[in-house]
Amino acid sequence: MSTTRREFLTVAAAGGIGVTLGAPVFLRRAAAAEPIKIGLPSALSGSNAQYGTQAKRACELFGKEINARGGVLGRPLQFIYEDTGGDPATAVRKAQKLVEKDDVKFLTGTVLSSEALAVSAKCPEWKVILMSTINGAGQLTTTAWHRYFFRVNTSGPMGARAVSLYLAESPMKRFFALGSDYAWGRDSVGSFDKQITAAKKDVVGKDYPPVGTKDFASYIAKIRQSRAEACYMALPGQDATIFFKQASQFGLTREVKLVTEILELENLKAVGEAMTGTIGSSRYPFTVDTPKNRDFVKRFHAMHGIYPDMFDGETYEGLEWLAQTIQKAGTADDVEKVIEAWEDSTYEGLEGPFFMRKCDHQAVQPGFVVEAAKDPKYPHLIPKILATYPGDKVTPKCRTEDFA
Amino acid sequence: MSSSILVEQLFDAAALAALLFLVSVGLSLVFGILRVVNFAHGIFYMLGAYVGSTLVRLTGSFWLTLILAPPIVGLIGAALESSTLRFIYRRPPIYQLLLTFGLAMILEESVRVLYGVTARSVDPPVFFQGTVELAGAVYPRYRLFLIAAGSAVGLALWLFLTRTRAGLLVRAVAQNSEMVGCLGGDVRRVRTGVFGLACALAAFGGACAAPMTTAYLGMGINVIVDAFVVVVVGGLGSIVGSMVGSLIVGAAQTWGGFYISEAAMAIMYAVMGAILLFRPWGLFGEEE
Amino acid sequence: MRRACVVLLWLICGLLVAAPWLCARHQLSILTELFIFGLLALSLDLIMGYTGMVSFGHAAYFGLGAYAGALTLLTWQLPIPLALASGAVCAAAIAWPIGYLSTRRTGIYFAMLTLAFAQLLYTIAYKWRSLTGGSDGITGVPKSALWWAGPSLGTPRAYYFLVLVTVAVALLACWALVRSPFGRAVVAIRENERKFAALGRDPARFKLIVFVIAAGFAGLAGALFAPFRGFASPELMFWVLSGQALMMVIVGGIGTLVGPVVGAMVFILVQEILSSYTEHWMIFTGGIFVLMVIFLPGGIVGTARRWLELERPG
Repeated sequence: MSTTRREFLTVAAAGGIGVTLGAPVFLRRAAAAEPIKIGLPSALSGSNAQYGTQAKRACELFGKEINARGGVLGRPLQFIYEDTGGDPATAVRKAQKLVEKDDVKFLTGTVLSSEALAVSAKCPEWKVILMSTINGAGQLTTTAWHRYFFRVNTSGPMGARAVSLYLAESPMKRFFALGSDYAWGRDSVGSFDKQITAAKKDVVGKDYPPVGTKDFASYIAKIRQSRAEACYMALPGQDATIFFKQASQFGLTREVKLVTEILELENLKAVGEAMTGTIGSSRYPFTVDTPKNRDFVKRFHAMHGIYPDMFDGETYEGLEWLAQTIQKAGTADDVEKVIEAWEDSTYEGLEGPFFMRKCDHQAVQPGFVVEAAKDPKYPHLIPKILATYPGDKVTPKCRTEDFA
Repeated sequence: MSSSILVEQLFDAAALAALLFLVSVGLSLVFGILRVVNFAHGIFYMLGAYVGSTLVRLTGSFWLTLILAPPIVGLIGAALESSTLRFIYRRPPIYQLLLTFGLAMILEESVRVLYGVTARSVDPPVFFQGTVELAGAVYPRYRLFLIAAGSAVGLALWLFLTRTRAGLLVRAVAQNSEMVGCLGGDVRRVRTGVFGLACALAAFGGACAAPMTTAYLGMGINVIVDAFVVVVVGGLGSIVGSMVGSLIVGAAQTWGGFYISEAAMAIMYAVMGAILLFRPWGLFGEEE
Repeated sequence: MRRACVVLLWLICGLLVAAPWLCARHQLSILTELFIFGLLALSLDLIMGYTGMVSFGHAAYFGLGAYAGALTLLTWQLPIPLALASGAVCAAAIAWPIGYLSTRRTGIYFAMLTLAFAQLLYTIAYKWRSLTGGSDGITGVPKSALWWAGPSLGTPRAYYFLVLVTVAVALLACWALVRSPFGRAVVAIRENERKFAALGRDPARFKLIVFVIAAGFAGLAGALFAPFRGFASPELMFWVLSGQALMMVIVGGIGTLVGPVVGAMVFILVQEILSSYTEHWMIFTGGIFVLMVIFLPGGIVGTARRWLELERPG
C-alpha cells in the first residue's frame, strides 16, 4: 500500500515539475505563428486559366509583402491554391477540401460565375467567408446573397453602368449590342439596353454568339448592316480577342466604334495595335494615377515582369482590405467578428476609396471608362483612362440591379 | 437583302469551310484508314497554330512557317502513334479512342507549360493584310487566301491518294491491311505515315487559322466537335466527303448564325443527328 | 486464395459501413462523392460491358437527374427518396426516345448519335434559363429528409449512408439483371447480333431497354449529386464528363460492374491528389491513363480477376 502511494506521489511530483518546466515551451509554440489560411479554388488550367493565374499572382505579391512586415495580428498569411479547371463540381469539391481538411476560413479566387454561385451557396453551411475579386454576376449580391459573401470587385452591372454613362454623354446615338450567349453576356446586354434606352438613345440590333465562337464573320456583317455607330460587346476574354482581330481584318473598326464591357490587358497583348481606339470599362486599369497605385504597379512589375491586369489589381485590393479587416476585428478565427468589422468599413484602394455596404456586401468603388492607346513606355497598348465615375454613381441600389 | 451581303456570306461560308476542311480531312483519313477515332486531332491543330506562331517569330516569314510547321507537328504525331497507338490496334475501338483522349490531355497541358496562358498573335504576310473590294463589300484578303489554301490542299491530297503509288498503298491498307501485309507491304509504316500526315494536315490548318483567331489554349477542344460533324456529314474516310461536309457545316454555321442565331449552338448537333439517322455513312462514305 | 478474397471483400464492406466513424470529415465527403460517380460509371458499364455499345453522351442523363432532383427539392421540398426517383424517372423518360433512335445504328454511328443527342440536351439546358438557370445553373439545393417529417439527411453521416445504400442496391440490381434471362439475352446480342436476330427476336428492343435502365441509374446518380453539392449545372451534361465516365469504366474494367465503381474512385482520387501537388496534373493523369490503356486493358478489377483465375489450382 504505502509503496504504491509513494510511487504515485513520485510520479505526480515528476509530472508536475515536467509540466511546469515544459509549459512555456508549449505556450510559446501555440502563440507562435499559426498561419492565417486563405484558400483559392481557382481555375488555374483550362480556357479560363488566365483569370485564376491573375488571382494567384496578386496573392504571391501580397503574401510576400505582408509576411515580410510580420503578417496580420502577428500571424503569417498562407495561401492554398487548388485548381478547379473552371468546373463548378470541382470548385465545390476543392472548396470543401479547403474548408474541411485545411481549416480555411476565407475563400477567394473563384473565376466563373457558376463556380462562385455554387461555392457561395455552401458558405453559410460551412461558416466561411467567400470574397469575390473576379466574379461579376449580379445575383451574387441580389437573389443569391447571404452575409458570408463579400464582393470587393466591380460587378457586371456596375461595369455596364460606367460604359452607359459615358456613352450617354457622347454624341453617338445608334448602338449594336453583342453579348456571348450565356448569363454574363446576356445580362450585360440587358443592362446596357435598359440604360442606353433610358438615355434616349437607340439599340439598333442585338445578337448573342455562342461562347467559343471562332468565326464572327456573320456577326460583323450584321453589325455593318445595322448602320450602328458603335458596338457594345460583352464577350469573355478569348472570344473578345478573336472578335477584335476579325473586326479589324474586316475593316469594321474604321466604321464602327467598338465599346467593350471589359478591356483587359490580355486582349491588348494578344490583338496588338489593331485595338487602338477601342473603349471599354475596366475593373482596374493599371494606369490609375495615384501614388499608391504607381508604387503597386512598380512592385508588381518587379516581381512578375508584366503589368497588372484587371484581376491582379482587384485581387490585391481584396487581400489588402481583408487583412486590414482581420486586423481591425482582432481575430482571424471568429468569422462573425470579421464580418461585423467589414460591414460599413472603408478602405483606401489602388483605384480610389472603397466602401463596403452592409446591406449587400458590395464594395462601392469608382468606375472607369478607358481607351486602348499606344504609349512608347510600354511594350503593348495600355488602358488610358477617359472618365472616372465616383462609386455612388455606378453602384446599383441595394440588392437590386437598378440605378438611382 | 443586298447582293453584297449575299456575296459576303458566300465567301464567309467558304472561308470557314476551308478551315474546317483542313482540320477534318485528317480526322477522316485516320478513321478511314486506321479505323481510329482520334480525339487528340484538335490538339494537333492547336499545336500547328502555336508552333506556327513560334516559327513566324523566328523566321519572320509566314510562307516558311506554312512549309515547316506541318512536318514538325506531323513528326510529333507519328512518334506518338508508333510509341502508343501502334500496340493496341487489335483491341476494340473504344481503347484507341480513349488512348487518344489521354494523349490529348498530355499535349494540351504541355502546350500550356511551354507557352503560358496568353493567346499568341500571328500576322499574315503583308500582302494578305487589309481588305479587297468584292461586289460592293469590303472583304479581308486573308480569308480569300484561306479558301485558296484549303482548295489547294484538297486537290493535292486527292491527287496523292488516287494518282501516286504511295497513295495506292494507303488505300489498299484501308481496304484490307492483312492482304497488303502478305504481299510484302509495310503496313506498320503506312499506318504511322497516315497518322503523321493527318497531324500535319491539322497543323497546317492551325497555322492557317492563327492569323484569323490567334493561337490560344482551348482551340483544339473547341474545333474537335466541328470536325466530327464534318466527318460524319461527309463520310468517314472520304476526302471529297470532307470537302462537301465542310461546305455544308461552314454554310450552316455562317448562315445559321446570321439568320437564326438563337439556334446557332444547336444547329451543328441537329445536322449531325439527322445525317446519322438517315444516312450514317455520310454523303460520300462507304455503306458498311 | 478464393477464401482470402471473400474475407477481404467482407472487410472492405465493413470498413465502408464504419467509414463515418473512421474517417475525417473531409475524407467522408470525398468518399460520398466517389460513390456517386461510381454509380454513374456502373450505369455506363451496363451499356458498354453487356450490350457492347459505346455511349459518348451518357453524362447527359446524369445531368438530367441532377436538374430533376434539384428542381423537386427546391420547388416542392420533397423527401429525398422522391427526389431520387424523379431524377431516375426523368432521365429514363428522356432516354427512351433518344435510345429508340440511337439503337437503330451500331458501332461508331451509335456512339456519335448519343453524342449529338447529349449535346442537344446540353444546349437546351444551357439556353432554357428560366428553368435551369442557364450557364449559372441552379444553386442552393437543400438536403431534405428521408420522408415527410422524417429524419433529416442533412448531416454528412446520414447522407453518406444514403449514397452507400443506394449504390449497393443499384449494384445488386444490376448484378441480378445481368444474371437474369433478360441479361443473358443481352449478352447474346453482344456476342452475335445477327444470329440473335435470325432466331426471330428483336435486338433493338433489348438494347433500348438496357439503354433506358442505364440512363435511369445515371439519373439516380445525378439526383444524389444535386443535394450533395448543392447545385446542378450544364457542365454535368457535357461531353467531357461523358468521356471521363468512359475512362472510369476502362480503368475499373469493362463488364465487371464493380470495376467501374472502383475505376471512378481511382480516377477521381488520382486527379484530386495530383492537382493538389501540381498545376500540371493533367500531364500525369493523361500519362497514367495512356499506360493503363496499353498495359491493363482489363482495368483494375478485370486484371485482378484474371490473376485470381490463374492462381486457382487445377
